[in-house]
Parts: sequence; C-alpha cells; structure tokens
Amino acid sequence: PAGPGAMEPDYKRRKMQELDDPPWEALLVLPELESQEVELILAYAAPVLLKTETSRLVQQLSAARPLTELPHLKRVRARGGTQPLEVLLCLASPSQDTGALQTLSELLPDGQVDICGLGEPFLVQVPARAPLTRPQFEEAARHWPTAFHENKRTSQALAGQLFTPQDKAAMQGHMEQAIHAARQGAELGMVPVGAAVVDTATGRVLAVGHDCRKGLHPLLHATMVCIDLVACGQGGGAYSYHDYPACTFLPSDEHAVSGDGLPYICSGYDLYLTREPCAMCAMALVHSRIQRVFYGVASPHGALGTRYRIHGRKDLNHRYEVFRGILEGPCQRLGQEVAS
Amino acid sequence: MDRALRMAKEALENGEVPVGCLMVYNNEILGKGRNEVNETKNATRHAEMVAIDQVLDWCHQHDKDPAEVFAHTVLYVTVEPCIMCAAALRLMKIPLVVYGCQNERFGGCGSVLNISSANLTDTGEPFQCIAGYRAEEAVDMLKTFYRQENPNAPKSKVRKKECSK
Ligand SMILES: [Zn+2]
Ligand SMILES: [Zn+2]
Repeated sequence: PAGPGAMEPDYKRRKMQELDDPPWEALLVLPELESQEVELILAYAAPVLLKTETSRLVQQLSAARPLTELPHLKRVRARGGTQPLEVLLCLASPSQDTGALQTLSELLPDGQVDICGLGEPFLVQVPARAPLTRPQFEEAARHWPTAFHENKRTSQALAGQLFTPQDKAAMQGHMEQAIHAARQGAELGMVPVGAAVVDTATGRVLAVGHDCRKGLHPLLHATMVCIDLVACGQGGGAYSYHDYPACTFLPSDEHAVSGDGLPYICSGYDLYLTREPCAMCAMALVHSRIQRVFYGVASPHGALGTRYRIHGRKDLNHRYEVFRGILEGPCQRLGQEVAS
Repeated sequence: MDRALRMAKEALENGEVPVGCLMVYNNEILGKGRNEVNETKNATRHAEMVAIDQVLDWCHQHDKDPAEVFAHTVLYVTVEPCIMCAAALRLMKIPLVVYGCQNERFGGCGSVLNISSANLTDTGEPFQCIAGYRAEEAVDMLKTFYRQENPNAPKSKVRKKECSK
C-alpha cells in the first residue's frame, strides 16, 4: 500500500488521462433476439405485368395463400423506374432446389388465384421475423418491404439519447465509487474490479465492493460480493467482510419491515460494475432480480453482450437492462494500473 | 445420490427449493448442501454454492490445497445445476457432475445454456456431466414444492418462490 505522498503523482497522472478520454456514452446492450442479424427465408414472388390486376391479385393471394406466420411482410414491392411491381406468392418449401423453379400453375394449382397479369415466378429471400430495432428494420427492408413497430425507448437508447446530463452525472458518480473500490481492492492484492449497488428510486448507494476472489473466497467476484453485501444490509448475508474495509453496505431497515421473506433483494436496484461480468455473476443477477446493470468495459468471455446475453433471454424468468461504456477509459485502465 | 435426495427433502421441509447435493472426494463426503436462499436473503445461495463453501472450509481445516481437492471431487446433485452454479463449478474446476433431473428453467448444463462444456477461457474449465440418475424422485420433489402452498402467503408469493431455483 502506498502512502499519501506516493499516491499523489498517481492521482495526478490519472486526472491527466481522464482529461484526454473522449466523453463516454451509455450504450444499450441489446438482448439476444434484438441483436441478431436479420434471418431470411426463401419465398416465391412474381412480377405483376398488368398493373390494373394488382389489387385483385393481392386480394386473391391474401385469401388463398395468407402469410399468417409472417404478418410483417408487405405483399407487394415496387422496384422503382419502369420495372413492374412484384407480388409475394407464397413461401418456398425448405427443400426448395434453387435450380428448379416451380411454375405458376404448380404454385397456385387450386384455381383460387386467377394468374392473369402475373409474370414468371422467381425466388426471393424475405425476412423471417418482424424487425425489433431500426437497424434490423433497415436491413430487413433491403430484402423485402417489411412493417416495423418501432420501440421508441430502444431507439433512443441505441442513439445514446436515453439519459439526461443529470442522469449521466449521477451514473458517473456511482461508477467512480466502483472504480475507487476496485483500486482499494487492488492494493490488497485483489483483482481490480469494483461494483456498487444503487436504489433506483432514492439514488442511495446501498453497497460498494470489490472482487475478493484472491482473498476471501474464489467465487466472490465483485458482483457476488455486492449481492451478498445487499443481503447483509437486510440482515442476511453469507460472508463477513471485515478484512476488506472497502466492501461496505448501508443497513436498510425499510426492507426488514416491508420484506416478505423473499430473497429477491435487488429488485428495483441498479448495479455499477467496472467490467462486464462472467456467466456466474450475470445469472446471479437474474436470481437476484436486478433492474439494470451499467458496466465500463467488455470482458473477453463476458455474459452481458460479449459471449452471452444472459440479461435478455426470454426463457429465463427475469430480464434486466444492460448499458456499457460508463467511464470506459478509467475502467479500461484499471487492469493496466495493476499490471504496471 | 440417496443422501442428496434426503437433503433435498430437508430443504423442502424448510420451505426452500428442494435441491440437495454432495461433494465427494476420495470416497469421503466433504460438502453437503441444500438451498439456503431464504435464510441468507441471498438469492445465490444454491445447494452447490453452499457445498463448495464446505469443501473450502474442509481444505482450510485439513491444510489441503483447494485446487488439488476440487480437481478430484465429484458433485452429486438432484437437479441439473443452473447457469450460475454451472459457471461456479467450472471456476472451481470440478471435473464431474452427476445429476438427477433436468432444470428446464435455469439449467446450465444444456437445458438453457451449455456452460458446462462451452469454450470459455476465463471461466475455469469445462466439466463432464452424467444425467438422469434417479431423476423421477427429484422431479417429484420439485413438483411437490411448486404445488405446496404456504398458508401464510398469498398465492402470488408462492408462485414467485418457485422461480428461485
Ligand atoms: Zn463473475
Ligand atoms: Zn444454481
């Protein structure tokens, strides 16, 4: 541990580096489905050679070949210029051989659609699912016209417009506490990762902790420490942190009174974490019902965006929002400070 | 596995999700765990995490190297470990896990994610799984738990509780 005299140049150097950092943005980490690339499936379409037949064709096709599973697909597309309109006939079978196209009478054999005005059918890739984000929509529309019900909040979050300057100032303050804890842990030989839990409603910091895997317990990553510290604050907890003075919690009597015995102690709370958590920690946050996670930098096999997106899985019983990039520069340098 | 099932029953009687497990090293039981989520108010206190702590305590008491002990420890658990516990078992480098029934809600050994065998360089080592041993008894106990109504709690709370494993 360095004395105050030795700390000062360090502190000054850090301040200088922070002045050089570009301003940080809180970037939404999309859940699995929303971040996926646009999935495409093969369909048959045909040009409408007689424009006057268009509405009748659309009507008859919609009745005879409804696209029930794909309500997001528009039936007709205009290619612009002098090219004829094109109409979607039906989905191709999964075993469709792209070299052997079916004819109109093979595709529409039952006579429910009068094929008058239709040109030769062709195969086209169409989006298999409704787009969930604007980038997905733009990508999908390049293949076939697609309806899009935009989620305003997601779009704002992706554009970095979700948080006001006041929000960001508060977020920065919370992340600074996590970084401070990480440095104090590192002075005790711990892995330099820090975390803080904040009650979203009151803005109060309920727990601050650092990674203890090299000391107290090999599984006490900073997130696990903070979850346990919150439990300590509510009269529970599994470990004692008196050898680690930078791991602190705020005793909470509100919860003890209003508590219903359920261990979902982190519901309504945000976690600030200097780096993306591992799968164990990300799932521990599902079990604890955290509301949001803000982290600084990504980890090589992190579970909230890099390798997995455990926060956004529909098959798990709780989901939470994740933002990355908070004080990215200082969080990034935490590892290097210790290495040097 | 008998004893793991008995521990699960004990958890059930204590109002915890009925999961029990044993950590066996050289034919010796070093750790026994059942869910302690409600007692500690910490939602991460699953049976496996409790048992890992007991093995660590044993190592400290007997002056053994935890890395060596865990590398030769088998976990017997009534239900497939969840994603969190599967990652924790990897981090402890336990080589083999024998479990009863699948964990459709949270399973980390194939049911929801395949943490046990994934290539994750900074999350310990993959481990081998042997599944299906006395699965029916384990499933029955989980079903009893989910059906069981705490007479003091409104229905919604009982419903929520079933989600903690
Ligand atoms: Zn972790
Ligand atoms: Zn578990």
